[in-house]
Amino acid sequence: MQGVVGVFHHMDAVIDAAKALKAKRVGDLTVYSPTIHHEIEDALDEPISAVRRFTLIGGLLGWTFGYWAAIWASDYWPLQVGGKAIASWVPYTIIGFEMFVMVGCLSTVFGMMILSRIPRLVLNFGYDTRFTHGHYGIWVEAAPDRFGEIESMMKQHGAVEVRGER
Amino acid sequence: MATIAQPAPTRRPNITEPGIQLPAVTSFEQVDNEILATLKPSPKWFIGLGLAVAAMLTGAMTWVFQIYWGLGNAGYAPPVMWGVYIITFVFWVGIGHAGTLISAVLFLFRAGYRTTIYRASEAMTVFAVLTAGLFPIIHIGRPWKFFWLIPYPNWRLLWPQFKSPLLWDVFAISTYLTISTTFLYVGLIPDIAVLRDRETNPIRKRIFAVLSLGWRNTDREWRHFARMYLFLAAFATPLVFSVHSVVSFDFAMSIVPGWHTTIFPPYFVGGAIFSGFAMVWTLIIPIRKWWGLEHYITLNHLDATAKVVLFTSIMVGCGYLSEFFIAWYGGVAPEQEYFWNRVFGQWWWSAWILLLCNMVFPLSLFSQKLRRNTYWLWTLGAIINIGMWYERWVIVVPSLSHEYEPWQWTDYVPTWVDMGFLLGSFGWFFMWFLLFIRQMPVVALAEVKEIIPPKMLREGHGHGGHH
Repeated sequence: MQGVVGVFHHMDAVIDAAKALKAKRVGDLTVYSPTIHHEIEDALDEPISAVRRFTLIGGLLGWTFGYWAAIWASDYWPLQVGGKAIASWVPYTIIGFEMFVMVGCLSTVFGMMILSRIPRLVLNFGYDTRFTHGHYGIWVEAAPDRFGEIESMMKQHGAVEVRGER
Repeated sequence: MATIAQPAPTRRPNITEPGIQLPAVTSFEQVDNEILATLKPSPKWFIGLGLAVAAMLTGAMTWVFQIYWGLGNAGYAPPVMWGVYIITFVFWVGIGHAGTLISAVLFLFRAGYRTTIYRASEAMTVFAVLTAGLFPIIHIGRPWKFFWLIPYPNWRLLWPQFKSPLLWDVFAISTYLTISTTFLYVGLIPDIAVLRDRETNPIRKRIFAVLSLGWRNTDREWRHFARMYLFLAAFATPLVFSVHSVVSFDFAMSIVPGWHTTIFPPYFVGGAIFSGFAMVWTLIIPIRKWWGLEHYITLNHLDATAKVVLFTSIMVGCGYLSEFFIAWYGGVAPEQEYFWNRVFGQWWWSAWILLLCNMVFPLSLFSQKLRRNTYWLWTLGAIINIGMWYERWVIVVPSLSHEYEPWQWTDYVPTWVDMGFLLGSFGWFFMWFLLFIRQMPVVALAEVKEIIPPKMLREGHGHGGHH
């Protein structure tokens, strides 16, 4: 992995630089920001997160499992209460709902981790610890022969520090 | 997730302007420096922790005593076989409600005042549910057999009764604990990354690196994180309402006078939010004062929480009055007898503590001056929580001690064992909370950064008002 990392002090500068680098198609872009800024998301024009698919599948599996577990256990060990059916769907809705929430939430978190590619073992490459403090940044993965072009574009848009990493 | 607004000319900490929530906070670096300063130990923190550990050890010794000498040392007097343990269980589940309400429900409603208080509230929720979960285990007398409540394949080929509200409780509480803990942890990940990058001790740095999962604040991470947070909030919202509804079913599914009523689920949920917010004051007000966070957790935020408390106080007050009305209007003699005994008979003192603490004192919050007086809010928080503990007392004890058969009518007096567990539960809760705020930022760094204006090269670059 090789590329150029730029450190920015201002949000509009990083957005302008990201737009320019994206238009030039110099390489894969990663933009760092200390918090969520939807302006950056808009500038990069990324698709909507696919986390929702994990949520839907997890929720449906949890709901199904909750009902199934309650019905199966009641059928296996039948306990007649108050003349109610052995498998009563009304009280079992509580079990179904709780499992829906539990599995749906956990699969949502799992989906976020998969899509964000975390846990990450190698942290330092193309990264600067100032990105969690107050600075913005851009990492462009590119061949060394394009480093000069990328560095000058970043500086032109207000980068306070630019360095190549290989 | 929150709204980004233009810089404000004023630096007065508690006076907001449209779109500006924290006028005295102007840079991301300031946020990190000031909030992470709360992680430094102080004498007050050590004194608090010492008291909490002493109380927790009292509870632990009481448990050892009870396990050795038996459950008979608790104040149970048949048919009053639910006493302080179940009262305290319901009390702590209620406390645990506000955290997820603040972090999830208020997030979906875009309530700006949640941003600076939700982290402490979420931690409060996790530790309160952890505390609540101990009480059914203490109550069963043989705590080593608690896992029989959990449905799992076993050699006895036995399965629990899925139609029992007690089993619904097991599912509801364990789901709530899991989701609250998950919500707290995932919200902490970006903040742990801040701690990791500023840590100089190599061992702590390694621990933070593992806990932060290698989070780097990339656009990809934020994009998926924001969507995940939205879905978690959407899941947690009905969960908040379902958990205390399910706890209320423990009572409402029976035919005991005072319990057999359909009003219980909303009445319990309202009471839980009420007591949870009161406990948020108990925790947040000293934190903001002792660590100088008045310009983060502003009087406007406390004022907004006071309005929620006032609303929920009126809601539970309507619940109390509806109970009396239905007992009179329903014409069922045991119900009428029970409510008369509750308010004017054997248990009058506990009912009036409840009514005064939960219905009368909170009316003071109609005064804006008192809503913005932190000393009064802290005191009122304590009063409300005393009232809410007595609300559960009034639900549990008068009903069981005054059922249908007069020859069964009895008295109930808690013993020192009951009180030891009650004290121990507070110690256990505060111990975990104090340890938490010593290790993790008590105000969410990433979300606070989101509501303060970012640095711009060009003046007047528009960012206002969208999410």
